Amino acid sequence: MTRNKLILILIFSLISCLFFQTALHAQEQQKISGLFPGISFPRFAQQVNSMTGYQFYYNQEDLADLQVNISAKDNTLTQILEALFEQTDFKFSIDTEKRVFITKHKPLDLKLAKDFFESPDPLLKTDSLTRQSDIERAFSRNKLYVIGNPGNQKEATLKGKITGIETGNPVFGAVVFERTEYRRAITNEEGYFQILLPVGRHTLFIQNLGGFIEQRQISLQGDGILDVAIEENIISLSEVTVNSDRMTNISRPEMGVQKLNIQSMKKIPAVLGEVDVIRSILTLPGVQTVGEASVGFNVRGGAADQNLILYNHSTIYNPSHLFGLFSAFNPDVVESVELYKAGIPIQYGGRLSSVLDVKAKYGNNEKIKVTGGIGLLTGRLAVDGPIGENTTFSIGARSTYSDWLLQLLEENTDFKDGRASFYDLNVSISHKLDNKNIIRANAYNSNDNFRFDRDTTFRYENLNFNIGWTHYFNERLEAEFVVGRDNYSFGIEGRDNPSNSYDFGFNIRQDFAKIHFNYDYDFRHKFNFGIQSTRYRLNPGKIQPWGLESIVAPEEVNQEQALETAFYIGDNIEISEQLTVSLGGRYALYNFLGPNTSRIYTPGLPMARTTLIREETFNAGEVIKTHHGPEFRISGRYILNNISSLKAGYNTGRQFIHLVTNNAAIAPTDIWKLSDNNILPHWGDQISLGYYRNLKVDKYEFSIETYHRNLRNLLDFRSGSTLILNNTVEQAVVRSQGRAYGAEVLLRKNTGKLNGWISYTYSRSLLKTAKDEPAEKINNGEWYPNNFDQPHNAVLVGNYEWSKRFSTSVNANYSTGRPITLPVAKFEYGGSERVFFSDRNAYRIPDYFRIDLSVNIEGNHKVRKLAHSSWSVGVYNLLGRRNPYSVYFTPVNGILEGYKLSIFAQPIPFISYNFRI
Amino acid sequence: MLKKIFHINMILVLLMMFSCRDPFEPDLSDIPVEVLVAEGYIEIQGESIIRLSKTVPVRSTQSSPVISGAKLSLLDSNNGRWEFVEKEEGVYSLNGNFSPSETYQLQIELIGGKVYKTENLQPIISPEIDELGFLRDQNGVEIFVSTKGDEQAQYFLWSYQEYWIFRPGVISRLIYNDGEVRFRDTDERIDLCWKNNLNPKIVLQNAARFEDNRILQRELVLIPNNSEKLTQRYSIEVMQMAISQEAFDFWEILRKNSDDIGGIFSPLPSLIRGNIYNVTDESEPVIGYISMGKSATKRIYIDISDVFPWPVFIPEYEFCGISFQDTIPPTKQALFEAFGKGDRMPARDLYASNGEIIGYFGAPTQCVDCTLRGSNVRPEFWED
Repeated sequence: MTRNKLILILIFSLISCLFFQTALHAQEQQKISGLFPGISFPRFAQQVNSMTGYQFYYNQEDLADLQVNISAKDNTLTQILEALFEQTDFKFSIDTEKRVFITKHKPLDLKLAKDFFESPDPLLKTDSLTRQSDIERAFSRNKLYVIGNPGNQKEATLKGKITGIETGNPVFGAVVFERTEYRRAITNEEGYFQILLPVGRHTLFIQNLGGFIEQRQISLQGDGILDVAIEENIISLSEVTVNSDRMTNISRPEMGVQKLNIQSMKKIPAVLGEVDVIRSILTLPGVQTVGEASVGFNVRGGAADQNLILYNHSTIYNPSHLFGLFSAFNPDVVESVELYKAGIPIQYGGRLSSVLDVKAKYGNNEKIKVTGGIGLLTGRLAVDGPIGENTTFSIGARSTYSDWLLQLLEENTDFKDGRASFYDLNVSISHKLDNKNIIRANAYNSNDNFRFDRDTTFRYENLNFNIGWTHYFNERLEAEFVVGRDNYSFGIEGRDNPSNSYDFGFNIRQDFAKIHFNYDYDFRHKFNFGIQSTRYRLNPGKIQPWGLESIVAPEEVNQEQALETAFYIGDNIEISEQLTVSLGGRYALYNFLGPNTSRIYTPGLPMARTTLIREETFNAGEVIKTHHGPEFRISGRYILNNISSLKAGYNTGRQFIHLVTNNAAIAPTDIWKLSDNNILPHWGDQISLGYYRNLKVDKYEFSIETYHRNLRNLLDFRSGSTLILNNTVEQAVVRSQGRAYGAEVLLRKNTGKLNGWISYTYSRSLLKTAKDEPAEKINNGEWYPNNFDQPHNAVLVGNYEWSKRFSTSVNANYSTGRPITLPVAKFEYGGSERVFFSDRNAYRIPDYFRIDLSVNIEGNHKVRKLAHSSWSVGVYNLLGRRNPYSVYFTPVNGILEGYKLSIFAQPIPFISYNFRI
Repeated sequence: MLKKIFHINMILVLLMMFSCRDPFEPDLSDIPVEVLVAEGYIEIQGESIIRLSKTVPVRSTQSSPVISGAKLSLLDSNNGRWEFVEKEEGVYSLNGNFSPSETYQLQIELIGGKVYKTENLQPIISPEIDELGFLRDQNGVEIFVSTKGDEQAQYFLWSYQEYWIFRPGVISRLIYNDGEVRFRDTDERIDLCWKNNLNPKIVLQNAARFEDNRILQRELVLIPNNSEKLTQRYSIEVMQMAISQEAFDFWEILRKNSDDIGGIFSPLPSLIRGNIYNVTDESEPVIGYISMGKSATKRIYIDISDVFPWPVFIPEYEFCGISFQDTIPPTKQALFEAFGKGDRMPARDLYASNGEIIGYFGAPTQCVDCTLRGSNVRPEFWED
């Protein structure tokens, strides 16, 4: 135990050491490498002395019994001694003449800074992660940096860049603040900050999400620059906490933003032991799913197709494997995940409900690292690191070997021909051309292939590429230009019998180009602006006979093309210390393009074959229909006091591509449809209000957010409509309007052995057939609940660290059952007994409740060994509660009996092994 | 064909491993839903049959009650009016010749005074059935239909009636009558009966999906191995109706609601509508889609020799046999005791070497008398 801690601390200190080196005035300490296997302290002292020239002064008697058992590699003496004395009473001091004084209880005072061994701020004391013994760190903390040339000005602008010690990468979202005047700045995506301060002495605090609070003493004389390297992520270092937004929770101008890093996701027990991006975000307030095996998620009462899922700029249309059992993101290459439920940044558009921004690693620039894992169903491997000076890369691959599980089903003859397999691949490369230009490229591919019997094979695939160029014009202006292609397709191969064999295919391809500028005009105004353009090419369905004997008629629904372009500009205005406002406007222009045939129906009558007036044929590139309109993103934050703030926001959005489904979940065979002259774009707005408060010196974080959304031109389905291979989808849908509202309460504990969060969400999501829809009034035109309307939802994620190596996590999840349409009566028709259903979604399935438990065990922390390993063992659905996924009725002995189908109906144990080299 | 696509009623194998189903009895706070159900097809030449019934609560053990006493009439656009007659309870019949180019409406007036009407009915003439055939394979005998649609007739609906001969578990030519046993007359025979299936499932197909609107070998019925239907001779008459797209949609919803519910990717159930509405309250739900036109019919026979060998297993006769250990002497008293109650019947006679009758063996009536499961009256159409 102690030893492991010791090694941990070594690693920890190593980073501090690096940190130290990057500081302006580095105090050089000689590096020590070597194995000291169980020798006595005096002998150790001797060895060190001969290696480095350090002289040790200590009481022989006191230290005679101390055994040294350390393997050091390029560690400073300080780190080694810290580690060594960790569990003892000994203290040490090192002076400039390489003399080491070891004393008991109290270190020898070498007359350094007064607060040399103390955190300069009481707040920091409470930070369980603070290790005040980090000498170098304390040194640069307390050193006075004199910045700028003296002038007449009263205030001066301090600029700088915050980088991570470990990676050297810019740190985004770090808060630079000053406590006497409450001046504050947040670093942009490139790590730059700018803060206006009165001339004079200041203590600057720099805090990264989930990291230490770093500090610098400055004497500001005029405009100047201070670059600071901070620990980017304390979590990856000691694998301790779920992330915390800390002060940013209060001070960020946006609201409805949730950030999860991969470390916190690892703590959440996952089904089958696989760390899962989508399942992790389902633990956040306001995010729900209709069932365990469903693809996609619902944010604040929005449908699953209203989420923009981005993976390093690529739009992922189907983010899951095996119908949602796994999400399609390899956890080893994911850096962090951000979910915007409201206050979607101005550069994103095209979806009404949320943006899920999955950021993948571009690789560290230190050394090649290999990580991987083996679970019950999947194996994965990722490699990242530098190639040469300026290039880093990250490659990940994951695949299943689940066929063996299917083999177990051999007895069940129905499924013995079933096969299921998937894989995903990611490559991300970042290349620094020079200090002002960075090129980044990404490729992503995920593929699923499965069949239930010998006859029918399903497959689907995401394939994405993009390349981006980031250019820094100057310290205030930067631009990012990205071009790419996203492709999603699915297919069905039917081989039922030779005369009916067919291939069915669906495909969506989008080519995009976007340019985004960040301009820090001054400390009050930060502008974001840019242009995005996406060209869609959608093949809504195509069936072809397969084999010579097949008589299936080839059929192809007309290809659809469209061009969506948006211009946007946003300004982050700091009106005062307390009040920050973010204003954004976006103009979306959408052209539905030929070649295609557009159908014109008699206005005021249901769109049907009989009301079709005429058809018009358009040639390639001709504009069939244009939709356009503005979108607004407005939000504001008012800091009430040091620990609490109020935020409000209003935003609108438009969506031009829609998933057409009459399933409750996204099925892998659902098609997407572009807006055209008959299907209008979705429109939605959201007004939200939130209160944020940190308690017990940021130990607890509390927030409450409420929202109300209006949605227009949603699609619901006419009874019995067929959506596949339908050239006239508009004849199968009814135009509906939606309304969603709710409140989300979150209490989060970020630090300490026990950490985690508890959240409660009340949310409603309702639909109503549009007043002017003549085709069919679902439920007589009244409001009715959406398929995923689950009013009450409570989540508990708790994590207890017994030690650095051993932690337990619990995840409990409750939600109201989703609405269903129930059979209420029966009758005879066509020779069989038939059922008559209630109004749409008039009933609910039983409530959902599940507890998962997992234990994470880290391998030992010897520095020299092949791999760092960890095990994750747990049980999904610990209580074995049979949560119904769906309910259906089927006649048994002439009586219609109801059944509920549960997917994970029993406790499912899992184990997975992860390693990194 | 595309069934597989529409029918994504598949249950993921992997999920199957963990999934399970439990009974579910929702509290339906029993809203007394009694909805009018009308079913039928109006022939432009010949007899049209309309059946009226109403719904019952979903967990009721009763079958849906028929509605009798209603007045049904067919109306054309020139004030022509033809009245249906109630042939049996809830079954209304009309004979007549109607123009295929005219539009009609069916009007239903219930005893309470509620009046319902169909939307305008446009008769559709069905093309002839090209082929009604069968195929013996490992699963049994598949009966299929082929036809070729045209511009007007693209959506097809088939109903069919099956008749077949079966034999009881114990074949007996004897009859017990008034204290004596004698040979049965031809019209008293109970060792060969006809059974039928008159309201089986409906089969639907959209011909537009195929080249030249040609429907090739659409499976209608599968006679599983060992079925009694092929004991000796089997006959199926298929009625092919061409219907409108709306009617097809109606039947498709009906089918989906019954067949496809409950799978992981099953579509949500849809509200069943039809082309019938209450003239005073259009929001009142009414179930049923009445189509009109000229149907095409075809009949085929299948003999056991066509599918030989065809072992037959009839579960009701599984334990049937003659009790050879009990010889019943041919005395009035003994015969009465053995057969007078009617639960047993004489099955075999036993003669001494001198030709004198010694006695009879009996068997349970349900094993001997095929009329308990069918009819020994040969159907009118039946050809041998």
